[in-house]
Amino acid sequence: MRHARRLLGLVLLVLVLLPAGAAGAAEGERPVVRVGTEGTYPPFSFHDSDTNDLTGYDVEVIKAVAEKAGWKLEFVETTFDAIFAALDAGRIDVIANQVTDNPERQARYGLSDTYTYSRGVIVVKTGTKGITKLSDLKGKTTAQSLTTNYADLAREAGATVEGVEGFAQAAALVVQGRVDALINDNLAALDYLNTTGSDDIEIAGTAGDEVSEQKLAFRKDDAALLQQANTALAALKADGTLAKISEKYFKIDVSVENSGDADLSGGRAVRSDAEIVQDAAWPMFRALLIATIPITVISFALGLVLAVAAALANISGSRILSGIARVYISIIRGTPLLLQLFIVFYGLPEIGIDLPPWPAAIVALSLNVGGYAAEIVRSAILSVPKGQFEAASTIGMGYWQSLRRIVFPQAARTAVPPLSNTLISLLKDTSLLSVVLVTELFREAQNAASSAQTFFPLYLLAGVYYWVVCALLAAGQGRIETRLNRFVAR
Amino acid sequence: MTDTPTPLVDVRGLDKAFGDNHVLRGIDFAVDAGTTTVLLGPSGSGKTTVLRSLNVLETPDTGIVRIGDVEVDFARLPAKGKGARAQIARLRAQSGMVFQSHNLFPHKTVLENVIEGPVQVQGRPLDEAVADARELLDQVGLSEKAEQHPFQLSGGQQQRVGIARALALRPKVVLFDEPTSALDPELVGEVLSVIKELATQGWTTIIVTHEIRFAQQVADQVLFLDEGVVRERGTSAQVIGDPTQERTRQFLRRILDPG
Ligand SMILES: Nc1ncnc2c1ncn2[C@@H]1O[C@H](COP(=O)(O)OP(=O)(O)OP(=O)(O)O)[C@@H](O)[C@H]1O
Ligand SMILES: [Mg+2]
Repeated sequence: MRHARRLLGLVLLVLVLLPAGAAGAAEGERPVVRVGTEGTYPPFSFHDSDTNDLTGYDVEVIKAVAEKAGWKLEFVETTFDAIFAALDAGRIDVIANQVTDNPERQARYGLSDTYTYSRGVIVVKTGTKGITKLSDLKGKTTAQSLTTNYADLAREAGATVEGVEGFAQAAALVVQGRVDALINDNLAALDYLNTTGSDDIEIAGTAGDEVSEQKLAFRKDDAALLQQANTALAALKADGTLAKISEKYFKIDVSVENSGDADLSGGRAVRSDAEIVQDAAWPMFRALLIATIPITVISFALGLVLAVAAALANISGSRILSGIARVYISIIRGTPLLLQLFIVFYGLPEIGIDLPPWPAAIVALSLNVGGYAAEIVRSAILSVPKGQFEAASTIGMGYWQSLRRIVFPQAARTAVPPLSNTLISLLKDTSLLSVVLVTELFREAQNAASSAQTFFPLYLLAGVYYWVVCALLAAGQGRIETRLNRFVAR
Repeated sequence: MTDTPTPLVDVRGLDKAFGDNHVLRGIDFAVDAGTTTVLLGPSGSGKTTVLRSLNVLETPDTGIVRIGDVEVDFARLPAKGKGARAQIARLRAQSGMVFQSHNLFPHKTVLENVIEGPVQVQGRPLDEAVADARELLDQVGLSEKAEQHPFQLSGGQQQRVGIARALALRPKVVLFDEPTSALDPELVGEVLSVIKELATQGWTTIIVTHEIRFAQQVADQVLFLDEGVVRERGTSAQVIGDPTQERTRQFLRRILDPG
């Protein structure tokens, strides 16, 4: 039981340390307005391929609004399908991402005045016959972000909707013939055609006759911010700023109705695959160095502490402790990591535990590693002969000293190969972290891919980066194993 | 050797059950300082459990064990808590244990095995502990092997390191549980001669063994254990040479003339 208390202490220490790290990572004062945006939706919200800075029509509009309203902005990039959840959870304060007005959203959110008037268009593979209007989509399949207005239009027209993350992915599915069409904003479609120089897809027709209106979305209870935004938008319209931003991207003023045909030919230059990869190589490598690797290392270290605690609790002989350990292990192993990430990031704020992205990622990954590694550590400890514990006791060692000096060094031999697998899996699992808004290697690849409107070469590059790091880890594992096996007769 | 009370080891009313299995049923014996005591007895009679109780690797249900001036009354020992742990640690420190299967630490060199207790537990200075350890290794004939790892040694050499490790803590009494049973026959002699040597140097030892010839040579006292009680006790001449109990005679017959 005395070990029990120490163990409990160990676990509590980890739980206390985790949010402490969290506090360290949070920055900035409170009166900051956090803007949720995809960062992967050109020309509205994307990363400039030269500077890697977040830019686009929506980004510039919200910056202009902030200047008028006196806000300080903090951008939070997330997929569209997580964007309203982030707003609900209070992780962001406003969405600037071409949120189309509809009655459901009017009911749930505080929508600003309109800053974009656009038309939805139906995009098909070039040469496709028989799809020119919404009613033609009946029985067909379209690719959409599931929570968009366009997805609703497609469903209402009787189409089956395949969920995707962003326009580039949807376009790829259309090009490959895996879906029949996509519905999206006219401007986004034009941007794709211009940026890729591709004639694989074409605009087949409009999605209904109605002009759609895009607005900033706030939480319903945030009336003050909404008020300030509307005042700022009115001023920006009056002084011509909004028109100027729009003309920079579209040659026309999309912030008013019926402004004519947009022309995006002056937009970003068409780049070859080699140029695209070259431009993205450094930002992706940087993300690997400053996010993927440190998060992996920290989560693995904390996860190991949790694993040791859970393993010791499991074999402690105390029913309560081993019960807790077994429930923990079972939950972690029995649920998807993606779900665990969502719960830590979007669920915990509901009970007042609001972790910023990095700490949330580290908490979720540490808990996950802890659950998986606990069984490895447990069987490794049990693989050390009982006589070793007894020999340690007989020379006067206590529980922790025996573990540290006698048992763990021997258990390591058994534990290292499976733990290396855990580490390698963890490294790759960090690619899920974009859902908790961490810009790691894979998210950076997505950014670059959407800005370039093509993702195969960039995902290939990401794959190479992951593979190289995993290969290095595997080599390190080999060396450690050799070291540990040194003292064992074979 | 020291002016601790006589006898050096005093065991009274030792009782231990594993579930329904009543293994020790009131064991009493005493060991004088500087003497060698041999425990004989059939398999399952409780010999190992007696030794492990002295070193508190097993906690007796009741009974009193005193070694030197440390006495523990197990009937009154709390099941847990700091006080109980301290008492156990103090009693345990009075004896050193040599296991049948040596249980050397495979990840440490021979020298590291020997100094582990003195340095890590007793907190003795490293150089002093190393000097001591080298002397002990010399004594068991292994000074050349100090930097090797256990897997590089023969079974007999490993067992001798086990002995040096036990001695390094300077215990009042050294406990041997069948120190040669796991060895190839040709390696038995080297280990027994090391143990014999200890007797001449004044160490107090309690040895569980089936080596009757060896017992006759070294034992000042022989205890014959049977079904958890000391069935017969005396000098080796008495117990081995001229046993009074039928159970003892049966046991000796079986062990001296196997098959
Ligand atoms: N940890 C334990 N748990 C349950 N029963 C045990 C335990 N240790 C010993 N026993 C039982 O106690 C009895 C005495 O065992 P012990 O090892 O003391 O006998 P022994 O005289 O040393 O026998 P051997 O000559 O075979 O070594 C045996 O029946 C054994 O099965
Ligand atoms: Mg035995």
